[in-house]
Amino acid sequence: MGGVEHEDPPSKRVKVSSEESESFSNSSSLREPARCSLSDSMARPLESRGDDEVVGVKGVVKKVELVRIIAEALYSLGYEKTGAHLEEESGIPLHSAVVNLFMQQIIDGKWDESVATIHKIGLMDENIVKLASFVILEQKFFELLDGEKVMDALKTLRTEIAPLGVHTNRLHELSSLIVSPSQTAIDGTSDQRLRIRSRKKLLEELKTLLPSTVMIPEKRLVRLVEQALDLQRDACRFHNSLVEEMSLLTDHQCGRDHIPSQTLQILEEHSNEVWFLQFSHNGEYLASSSSDCLVIIWEVKVDGRISLKHRLSGHQKPVSYISWSPDDHQLLTCGVEEAVRRWDTASGECLHIYEKSGLGLINCAWAPDGRRIFCGVTDKSICMWDLEGKEVECWKGQKSIRISDLGISSDGKQLITVCKETMISLFGWESNSEKFIEEDHTIISFALSKDNRFLLVSLSNQELHLWSIDGSVILVAKYRGHKRSRLVVRSCFGGLEQAFIASGSEDSQVYIWHRVSGELILTLPGHSGAVNCVSWNPANPHMLASASDDRTIRIWGINQVNMTQNGRHSNGVCYCNGAT
Amino acid sequence: MGRIFVVDLDGRTYKCKFCETPLALADELVSRAFHCRRGKAYLFNNAANITVGTLEERMMQSGMHTVADIFCCCCGQIVGWKYEAAHEKSQKYKEGKFVLERGRIVDGVESEFYIDTHPTMSDAEDA
Repeated sequence: MGGVEHEDPPSKRVKVSSEESESFSNSSSLREPARCSLSDSMARPLESRGDDEVVGVKGVVKKVELVRIIAEALYSLGYEKTGAHLEEESGIPLHSAVVNLFMQQIIDGKWDESVATIHKIGLMDENIVKLASFVILEQKFFELLDGEKVMDALKTLRTEIAPLGVHTNRLHELSSLIVSPSQTAIDGTSDQRLRIRSRKKLLEELKTLLPSTVMIPEKRLVRLVEQALDLQRDACRFHNSLVEEMSLLTDHQCGRDHIPSQTLQILEEHSNEVWFLQFSHNGEYLASSSSDCLVIIWEVKVDGRISLKHRLSGHQKPVSYISWSPDDHQLLTCGVEEAVRRWDTASGECLHIYEKSGLGLINCAWAPDGRRIFCGVTDKSICMWDLEGKEVECWKGQKSIRISDLGISSDGKQLITVCKETMISLFGWESNSEKFIEEDHTIISFALSKDNRFLLVSLSNQELHLWSIDGSVILVAKYRGHKRSRLVVRSCFGGLEQAFIASGSEDSQVYIWHRVSGELILTLPGHSGAVNCVSWNPANPHMLASASDDRTIRIWGINQVNMTQNGRHSNGVCYCNGAT
Repeated sequence: MGRIFVVDLDGRTYKCKFCETPLALADELVSRAFHCRRGKAYLFNNAANITVGTLEERMMQSGMHTVADIFCCCCGQIVGWKYEAAHEKSQKYKEGKFVLERGRIVDGVESEFYIDTHPTMSDAEDA
């Protein structure tokens, strides 16, 4: 059942939590707790060096740092007593006495004293001292202004803030406030505050200014944990479902059963090879086209079943290309070197036929505003029409080869087409500028990601190349494994956040790779002919469609039985059903 | 058989006799002096729109070579062979080159007398 799956070694779980608690209990019995009360001047360095300097298996976590961020976390959570107790019991103060004094002075509004204290902290960088002083005195300035002590505020500005010699622009803004103290005015040009802020917020900003060894950043432990969760999620090769909660208690790892791998439906309405298919942007429809010259619009029902909605006949040649309008209300279809037809999705009516006499059209695409369409022509040019069929523009010259796909970049300003056998052009159709992607082998087809920022290129040497086209053009990844030697075989992006790449293959299977790692994770047998095209439902990461020479379309999904049994997991761990 | 991927060749080309698919550019012609069992054959630097068969050792007039038969990618007819390796030094120049049998290709020039298979688009022009 399902796909041919590749073995992977079970993931290792590093049990850090139990080791940490061991080393804590060890240290408190081995060492005498140093009576380091908060009124001492500076934290004494640890007397004993050696094993209890680091915790954890890898030996990279310094105990002093760990205890300090735990203390900070306790204080952030509001557990003042426990935080203080931890500092005492471990002998590791969260902040040195000087810093504690400094923080208290800020909260109490003792500005001059706090500026003096900064110099006592022992900061290496003079600039930081100045920047911190500026911020503190700025607060003093605002509080004076707020208390209507304008002369004092002015004095502060002149004699205390200005000599620092930093943030001169800000200085000018502050002086303008003395002249026109309209406190409620919000300056549209600068995003700087013009109103007083709380002392607590001032303290937070100071924590970002001062080095983190001096003042532990706010909520540092929580941020580290969030980083770990992000990394776990990124590393999860099968992650394809919106798991509501990730637990801290076990590493997150999805099983393969969240990736479509079971044939849920076989659609047999075409009477010849199915060459192309694509889901609409909203995932509610699927359009397929065949060498029987027919286009079919299918409806995706709420329960996931696909049913036939319209048969669109009219083309006299095999239909090789389909393009959904940005709002999905209309559809463009292109017959091989024939004409392009525009259809209405709801009624199935053919609204317009676009042709060029003596020539054939090879592909079609919508402008992002849905009011114009682009088509490649057999004479290597590209044409732009308005919806009524009036030719608005035509770019001649070597713009396109005979078999080429057509796409639009994310900003709608570049036309993407294969202009030479081994070259893709990103043509700024208004600016007339051009960027190129150069490959070493013949380009067969390409697909754009949902956000149009990535390009997946299929090559004659049986490789798929992933290019980033947002800004500069960079090759990002390569995927191999599928078979292609004679036909136009297409691939696509899909899954949650487009985390996967899928492709058809001449060996009748569907291939699925994990996009970031490049790893081939599934091959899906089932079709009895070459799989020409695949499309992943943009609105349902669990639905994949494939079109084959065996005249059928297969709809792939996840194992339904398994999902109802396991349902939603609160710890983010999903077990594979074990069946292959 | 799915949509067969065909590369367009610009310029004068030699095409498959059976399905008109362009197989090689006249510019890539190296020699007209080759022979096969069925008659004359031409040697080209490059060929396009062909599928390559399995490699085998073959004794040719000029010595032992490693060759593979080549077929038109559209209609599947055998059109010639490709030299993968030559065992004798004097024959090394053939490596990587393609031979198309004269009897299986048509010269691009003749296409001037050829009936256009692309029908005009709208019915009105037929009348």
